[in-house]
Amino acid sequence: MTLALSRTAGRRAPAAPATKAQALRSQRRAAFWFLLPDTLGLLVFVAIPMLLSVLLGFFAVDGFGNISFAGVDNYVRMGSDPQFWRSVQITLTYLVVLVPLLYVVGLALALLVQQRIPLVGLIRSMLFVPYVISLVVVALVWEFILGERTGVLAQLLAALGIEGVSFLGDPTLALGTVIVVTLWFQMGYYMIIFLAGLQDIPGEYYEAARIDGASAWQRLLLITMPLLRPTSFFVIVTATVSVITGGLDLIFVLTGGGPAGSTSLLIYFVYEQAFLFGDLGYAAAIGSVLTLVLLAWTGLMFAVTRGGRFDHDS
Amino acid sequence: MTTSLSRRDALRVGVLGTAAAGLGLAGCSSGSSASSPLQFWQQYAPATQTEPNLVAQNDWFLDAVARWQQAGGRPIEPVFIPAYTDPTNTRLATAFASNAGPDLFLISPGDFLRYYNGGVLEDLTPYLDDDVVEDYYPEALATRTIDGRIYGLPMEQEPLAIFYDVAALEDAGLSEADLPSTWEDMLELGRRLTTGQRAGLVLDTTPSYYQNFTFYPWMWQGGGEVVDPGTQRSGFASDAVVQALQLYSDSVSTGAAPRTLPAAGDVVGAFRNGFAAMWQTGVWQVEAFAQNAPDHEYGVLTLPTPPGGEAVTSLGGWAFVVNSKGRDPEAAAQFTAATIGSMSQESIDAGVQWNGVGKGNIPARRSVTEAIGDTGAFENPWLQYFRDEVLPGGRGEPRYPPPVLKAVSNAIQAVQLAGADPVEQAETAHRAIESYLVTYEGAELR
Repeated sequence: MTLALSRTAGRRAPAAPATKAQALRSQRRAAFWFLLPDTLGLLVFVAIPMLLSVLLGFFAVDGFGNISFAGVDNYVRMGSDPQFWRSVQITLTYLVVLVPLLYVVGLALALLVQQRIPLVGLIRSMLFVPYVISLVVVALVWEFILGERTGVLAQLLAALGIEGVSFLGDPTLALGTVIVVTLWFQMGYYMIIFLAGLQDIPGEYYEAARIDGASAWQRLLLITMPLLRPTSFFVIVTATVSVITGGLDLIFVLTGGGPAGSTSLLIYFVYEQAFLFGDLGYAAAIGSVLTLVLLAWTGLMFAVTRGGRFDHDS
Repeated sequence: MTTSLSRRDALRVGVLGTAAAGLGLAGCSSGSSASSPLQFWQQYAPATQTEPNLVAQNDWFLDAVARWQQAGGRPIEPVFIPAYTDPTNTRLATAFASNAGPDLFLISPGDFLRYYNGGVLEDLTPYLDDDVVEDYYPEALATRTIDGRIYGLPMEQEPLAIFYDVAALEDAGLSEADLPSTWEDMLELGRRLTTGQRAGLVLDTTPSYYQNFTFYPWMWQGGGEVVDPGTQRSGFASDAVVQALQLYSDSVSTGAAPRTLPAAGDVVGAFRNGFAAMWQTGVWQVEAFAQNAPDHEYGVLTLPTPPGGEAVTSLGGWAFVVNSKGRDPEAAAQFTAATIGSMSQESIDAGVQWNGVGKGNIPARRSVTEAIGDTGAFENPWLQYFRDEVLPGGRGEPRYPPPVLKAVSNAIQAVQLAGADPVEQAETAHRAIESYLVTYEGAELR
């Protein structure tokens, strides 16, 4: 038997004039069937595990099938766990420094590669390439650059008479180093996002501003920034989420959470609790709190920026 | 016959197909029938590498399984787990968390207690004859024994010592006569051997179980303990512990040791390229040098001691363990006993092949040590040195639960890399350990 998809299926019978209600029903049915696979995927792979994770936070789970109800013990423990709070503090520092940097550097690069300069396509690609490299490879490359005594940077500094700098072994430098490496591999992604936003801004606006005598700085502040509002909203929300929940592999390879716990981000702390300590309930509780904080942050951003909509949008 | 299919029909077929595929996947099982092979997770076989020692290790496992099956045992499938020795590898932990742990697996001493307290380790004692238990070095079995019952059978013992680079000594106008026997001399030599690119003395710097393992001997040398074996209370606020923490602090603050590992932790690479002069590491490096730099001149030194201290080192090494919740723990335990825990010539020969040929490290059994003598890998004088000079001061890597390991790790890291006060850090870790032990329920800590 041969099955052939009819290209004329919709023309088999003369179409009766459909009422508006029938058309709406038909559209809804189609929407339902088209959305169903994606919804099922989200339910099975995101929503249900997330719900189970929240539930897990109320149990003591040892990773060997032993489970007992713990009420809010895991949440109470969080409050008095100095290691947890230290990780929160490190993560906040990481976040407060990195997200603005990603925003500013991503935008600056987008403004740069938007110009008609020679080899701009190649420059854009080169800036984006780090983002598609495995984080483990990124970490190994940077380890080679930052290595104590033998790294490329250490040798350059030694040539300038600066010796004994350990970017990954000194607690006062390690987090900053991780921030620089993260900025390096993520900036290309945000550059592309900003570039798309910039290309949506009609050139006539800049032309009119130039005729009116606006400086480059004024054009940036009064045209570019307001019209990038939806893009800025997207960048800030996604950068925050990726900074808080990502980077685990980078930390593994570069510092292992050290030196002296100075790069033990919250996500690394959760990993430690779950997979090294086998305390899955506590890890799930921290994960739940983290999710709630991120939801609240995203909600706040939506409220403050109205989802990044322009003022004239309803 | 041609059937016309509308887009709507196609969509329905797609949805039903997806659902059917999903149900099909859900129905898949991991093969739990009575005859399916038992899974043995480890880091050696089946492997595709071509280095002679790795081939020998791979063959050892495949031969052991083949012998067992020829003797009529239930089939066993060796499963190679990439990066199995990496403590950050979550494969084993997630397998047990999802009730899909392997039937047999290799375990390091640092992980032993977690799996024992999780109730997944089979008691191997009923499968072992008394003379076999006697044949094991007491230190090899001590940390795998709980209340007189044996829950893991070690394949090897891996002591720590100091490796040194002969060329680095010569560059500094020194000879092997200048090698240190005390901590003070060790730090002084570390400082002298440190150059622009070369680290004089390398002590592990990465926060991990392994760093703790390398720290214990310095603490034991002065009589310190993390947990007092007698009272089962924290012993971390002792002078001996503070002294060992001070050593770690001084090693970095005086410039004798680096803050990170040279050559990303590759000892042979670091020695060959002149990036390290002395390195506290284990017996496994003898084989690594033999394979990767057979002509490189290096030496081994027992760990220097503090004034009035005793020469002690840590003994690591992997052990066979059986999942008591596996599909056939009895068959898995019988396989373990037959392969490495029997007085049969076959079992002793297997030990000879493993320790004396494939892996090149210290046997866990006296009969195997005797059978090897100075042959095979033990023709190497540095393996003989480990066996004759280092091993007698060996003590099995202790079994501590993760919160205790973390408290110790925090103290080491704080003094070594953040310049914290050793007394304060010992006290902080002591309080954390005490607080944990108040509610600890599990096997004795030792």
